[in-house]
Amino acid sequence: MVFWSIAITITLVACAALYYAAAMRPVNAVGSGEGLDAQFARMLAGIEADVGAGKLAGPQAIAAKAELAREMLRQKSEAGQAPTRAKPLRIGVVAAGVMLIAGLACGLYAILGRPDLPGEPLASRPEIAARNMNLEEAIARIEARLAIAPDDLRGWTVIAPAYMELQRYADAERAFRRIVELAGPDADRETDLAEALMMQAGGDAAGEAMQLLRSAATRDPAHLRSRFYIAGELTRTGDYTAAVEAWQELIGLAEGNEPWLATARQGLAFAEAGGVAPQDDETQQEAIRGMVEGLAARLQSEGGSVEEWTQLVRAYLVLEDRQAAQAAYEDAVAAYPQAFDRGGLDTLALGAGLSLNGDGQ
Amino acid sequence: MTIELGHFALILAFAIASVSTLGGYLFWRRGERVALFLQQGAVLQFVLVAAAFAALIQAFVVSDFSLALAANNSHSLKPLVFKISGVWGNHEGSMVLWVLILVAFGAMVAAFGKNLPQSLLSLVLATQSLLTAAFSGFTLFTSNPFERVSPAPLEGADLNPVLQDIGLAIHPPLLYTGYVGFSVCFSFAVAALVSGRIDAAWARWVRPWTTLAWLFLTLGIAMGSYWAYYELGWGGWWFWDPVENASFMPWLAGTALLHSAIVMEKRNALKIWTIFLAIITFSLSLLGTFMVRSGILTSVHTFASDPTRGLVILSILAVLIGGAFALFALRAPALRAGGLFAPVSREGALILNNLFLATALGAVLVGTLYPLLLDALAGMTISVGAPFFNLTFSILMAPLLVVLPFGPLLAWKRADIVAVAQRLIAAGALAIFLAALISALGGVSVSMAPIGLLLGFWVAFGALAELIERSRLGRLPLIESARRLAGLPRSAWATALGHFGLGVTVLGIVATTAWESELVTTLNPGEAARLAGYTIAFERFEEVPGPNYSAERGTFRVTGESDATRILSPERRIYAASGMPTTEAAIETYGFSQLYLQLGEPVDGTHVVRAWFKPYVTLIWIGALLMALAGAVSLTDRRLRIGAPARRAAATEPVR
Repeated sequence: MVFWSIAITITLVACAALYYAAAMRPVNAVGSGEGLDAQFARMLAGIEADVGAGKLAGPQAIAAKAELAREMLRQKSEAGQAPTRAKPLRIGVVAAGVMLIAGLACGLYAILGRPDLPGEPLASRPEIAARNMNLEEAIARIEARLAIAPDDLRGWTVIAPAYMELQRYADAERAFRRIVELAGPDADRETDLAEALMMQAGGDAAGEAMQLLRSAATRDPAHLRSRFYIAGELTRTGDYTAAVEAWQELIGLAEGNEPWLATARQGLAFAEAGGVAPQDDETQQEAIRGMVEGLAARLQSEGGSVEEWTQLVRAYLVLEDRQAAQAAYEDAVAAYPQAFDRGGLDTLALGAGLSLNGDGQ
Repeated sequence: MTIELGHFALILAFAIASVSTLGGYLFWRRGERVALFLQQGAVLQFVLVAAAFAALIQAFVVSDFSLALAANNSHSLKPLVFKISGVWGNHEGSMVLWVLILVAFGAMVAAFGKNLPQSLLSLVLATQSLLTAAFSGFTLFTSNPFERVSPAPLEGADLNPVLQDIGLAIHPPLLYTGYVGFSVCFSFAVAALVSGRIDAAWARWVRPWTTLAWLFLTLGIAMGSYWAYYELGWGGWWFWDPVENASFMPWLAGTALLHSAIVMEKRNALKIWTIFLAIITFSLSLLGTFMVRSGILTSVHTFASDPTRGLVILSILAVLIGGAFALFALRAPALRAGGLFAPVSREGALILNNLFLATALGAVLVGTLYPLLLDALAGMTISVGAPFFNLTFSILMAPLLVVLPFGPLLAWKRADIVAVAQRLIAAGALAIFLAALISALGGVSVSMAPIGLLLGFWVAFGALAELIERSRLGRLPLIESARRLAGLPRSAWATALGHFGLGVTVLGIVATTAWESELVTTLNPGEAARLAGYTIAFERFEEVPGPNYSAERGTFRVTGESDATRILSPERRIYAASGMPTTEAAIETYGFSQLYLQLGEPVDGTHVVRAWFKPYVTLIWIGALLMALAGAVSLTDRRLRIGAPARRAAATEPVR
């Protein structure tokens, strides 16, 4: 392992340095009184220097030297009385000490250390972070940042859709409002805010939401999302005359293969019938049936998106043709065998009492 | 992997320190080989602990939250300088800093100590290694800074906002250098006691180490005081908080040691007392560092305490301090006392200094520990507050300040007090004149202020009197005096500078205590208030984002009577990670005085604003800086000489 090889190298270098310092150099057996002499020589030189510099008068210098001499004699006699020193340390003792150090260090580290854990500097962790982080954690981080810098547009832009995702619509509303304040209103931002308000009101777009949607549609006449909501709201509130116009305008903006187009056409039909589901009208019923069959034929032959399959199943259910719905659902499951891919479809089908994968109920 | 290598380095340093201790005490008589081993060991300990410390800094800088210490005390949004200082803004990291400074001093002894007798060097290094082993062991086994977390959290808990200040980068390293520097004096004292000999080299070595440690301790305390002054938001510069006392006690003991070491170096006297002081000083340093961590004392400085840790700390302190004093009791009688001197002499004055400092130290110690003991023994809770300390401390310090200017003018061995008094007449007269003048002009209402001023001026001018005396200013031609002044030994300059600095600090304390004015009012933007001749106009209030906090900032335009306007911007901050608020006072310096402005909480749509005018408050810290500078000057004076006794005709009987 890399760690242990470095650690052992460090230990070896340290131990070698100690061993070399203590055992490999020629040494004097026993320290002599030489250090003492040198010390007194320096002090004597200091006195002479002071005399030379005129800081000490002659008699003072003599007295100082005499005192120094007395001190030196006394210390020498003490040194003589000191017990004679033992023999110099043997090399074996040094070697034993050095080995003790190496053993102690490696042993203790083995107990205390975590050589298996790599360092994890924050900068090198984003991909791990992305994999492990759940939405709440990410939101908490961004919220902490926004508490300090409430003017951070990017932060609000990131956090607002996340709130929608977590169905925290009140927070989403606050975030979208902040975005409108900071970046100024445009069609998309106003529609986002309206969306948050509608979700809070359980789908009701009355009041401020509607104003915002209208403002967005005025700002950008080709803005599909706001027009879609306006038409839907008009239909919901029973203003069918205006609703028909709204749906027609919306459908007029379509290119022909948008996923929302079918819903828009249904809405138009519903509004045109004056709020009554148009099944009593045979021709209308036929027309819808024709459209549904056209879609079914296309999906059978060419395949399509999960959304289209879902639309087909929902259409059969609306037409109360359960068999066809079950058949379409089974075809969709065959086309998208991964349950992960068909979340919305399964919810719809199971909610309507269709069976999954033909395994019976 | 750097974290784990740092961990390994600290463990290896602990192993080397342990073996060095063992080998040093067992084999110190056995010649050069032991000394060489210990010298190399001391250098290696330093290199290894430095590497460990660098690994911690690295982990904090790159926000590696797999290190528990970083996860608990850092935050990825913190500015770089606070990421680094955050390493020692907590118990574990500060222990590593403490040990790092300890081994740095050990390495310095090893590097500069080549001329020391081998047995002395071995014992000193063995004692340093003992301290290193004890405290690095404590760090590793009870408060390991290298503990890991797995899986690593994504964000740290952030550092206490009060500590997110440049003060944390400066104050602890200075203070610890001061504390730990005294370990060298302690090791020398223990070595002398173990070997039973105090040789000339010992006497020569203790003073520079004491001076070095004292210098840093002075700076550390002054810096801590200034930090508390501007960060805690109350404008106080000393609180008699237990931890402040804990840093002040080693300073008092260290100051006494500094002076007794002079006597020992110059006159070979007071050896046993110096050894005693060296042990006391370092013991108090240990208390200062660790009493807070043991959990018996609580204050602003308290780190999270834990009972096991406290018990271990107390045992280590008991063994080290108790062991040193036991050794002292056993071996001190065997030591030779040294030189003789008369009561009135430089030595006598220095002993007087030691007596006063020791008594003041005792008072602070009692004031700090008495409530604890009472609580532990009788279950009574009392609080010994600032009034007690202010009173006892000033009563004890006043006589010291009165006699202080005499000291440096006295001759060694025996001196003429009358002659010295004559030389100080001018300084005394000037001090009385200025104190009276200022009191008359300032309209003093506090009765003690003139006495305080008098003492401050007396000490400051008395210090200058020595320089004037020694340069024969006024009695010789000016050029000649200047030449003499320049030729004075550095130690004379250091003495004068140090004592002058003390006088300056006393003046600052007295002036700011007596003449401080305070204003607490509510203001809205557009309104203004007046304080001590300054008009404080509240211009605007705004919210400003910081890197890891949000701030409310008030902008004030302050106009003095004869001064250009200046803009002051106090803030209130809320730190995101902890939600803790701090106040950032705005301080503006006018000459030596300061205007201190603090923005309080908004109340009913208006803002509470506190303002203080603190006359001459900066003198407190300028004086401390001068004292530290004096220590530095003294360190550059490398003369190795004994004092020259003056021979006098009238011989008095020498008294011990």
